[in-house]
Amino acid sequence: MTSRDQIFQVLTDVLQKEFGFEPDSFRLETHLVDDLDLDSIDAIDLAVRLEERTGVSFRDEELKAIRTLGDVVDLIDGRG
Amino acid sequence: MVDQGNAGGVQALITRIRRAMGSGISFALFGLSGLLLAFVVFPVLRLLPGSQALRERRCQAVVQRFFRGFLRFTEAIGVLRMQVVGAESLQEPGQLVVANHPTLLDAVFLMSLMPQADCVVKRATLSNPFLRGVVRDTGYLSNDRGGELVAACVERLREGRSLLVFPEGTRSPAGGLGSFRRGAAHVALESGKPLRTVVITCTPPALGRGQKWYDMPDERLEIHIDCRETFDPAPLARGAASRGVAARRVTAALRDFYAKKQQNPSL
Repeated sequence: MTSRDQIFQVLTDVLQKEFGFEPDSFRLETHLVDDLDLDSIDAIDLAVRLEERTGVSFRDEELKAIRTLGDVVDLIDGRG
Repeated sequence: MVDQGNAGGVQALITRIRRAMGSGISFALFGLSGLLLAFVVFPVLRLLPGSQALRERRCQAVVQRFFRGFLRFTEAIGVLRMQVVGAESLQEPGQLVVANHPTLLDAVFLMSLMPQADCVVKRATLSNPFLRGVVRDTGYLSNDRGGELVAACVERLREGRSLLVFPEGTRSPAGGLGSFRRGAAHVALESGKPLRTVVITCTPPALGRGQKWYDMPDERLEIHIDCRETFDPAPLARGAASRGVAARRVTAALRDFYAKKQQNPSL
């Protein structure tokens, strides 16, 4: 399993636990706001959980640039 | 000689023009008084001493009286009639008031009924040169602050101040409800306060999303405002895995409450 797949696993696991989504609601192109209806409070909670799980911490401007699950994976993968 | 049909047509036209004029006069008065407040009254109030909280309260009291006076005027010239059920419940301090948003004037209706109200306003309000100063002087909160906004709202409630929030964030679509933002639910859950639910209806529909202020129906607007019920989010949040899940449940239930009220107002 590649590292990107592992990151995607962690991300979808966090999204299920934190916001109660069904496991099959995620693809790399899934849009956090348009498809998953995340708001700014969710974005904070998501960032905190991902930091706990991956050890990667995010800058505000990085968080603002994120649109899709793929963007999150790229961001964490780029830091790994 | 004018035949019957034409006479009816002329009568209808006159009624229409009178409605449009009444509405035009009302909005002109509103705009002019708003300018007076922003550029004369508020600058004078800024000179008065007192803590920031006291100053904001003073400005909010002025806004309340202005809105009340404006609504009395619109009622007097027959533009609208307001009927409020349970108005006394909005007078209590430290309440988290939420409402649906069918018309342009909903904030005016509700603020005229609340001696003190911290409103959560759209970010766009801050780029309006007339409103920017008013928002600053009254201590209204802008909705562009995300997580910080929730904390600021909770703090205001703890200080015994009341909040006014439209969970749809903008006017409702015609005859229905928009999607609800979850901020109000977060504030309720974090502060432990129930939501004071206000249900607003306007018959016939006017001043709604996409409708122009001069595009008024032929009849007087009957505004019905029901403030009697509260909505306790705590039972819904029990057992939720996170605050994100809890806020989703509470928001969905709150929207259902409003949807049911719209289908059957006698509930």
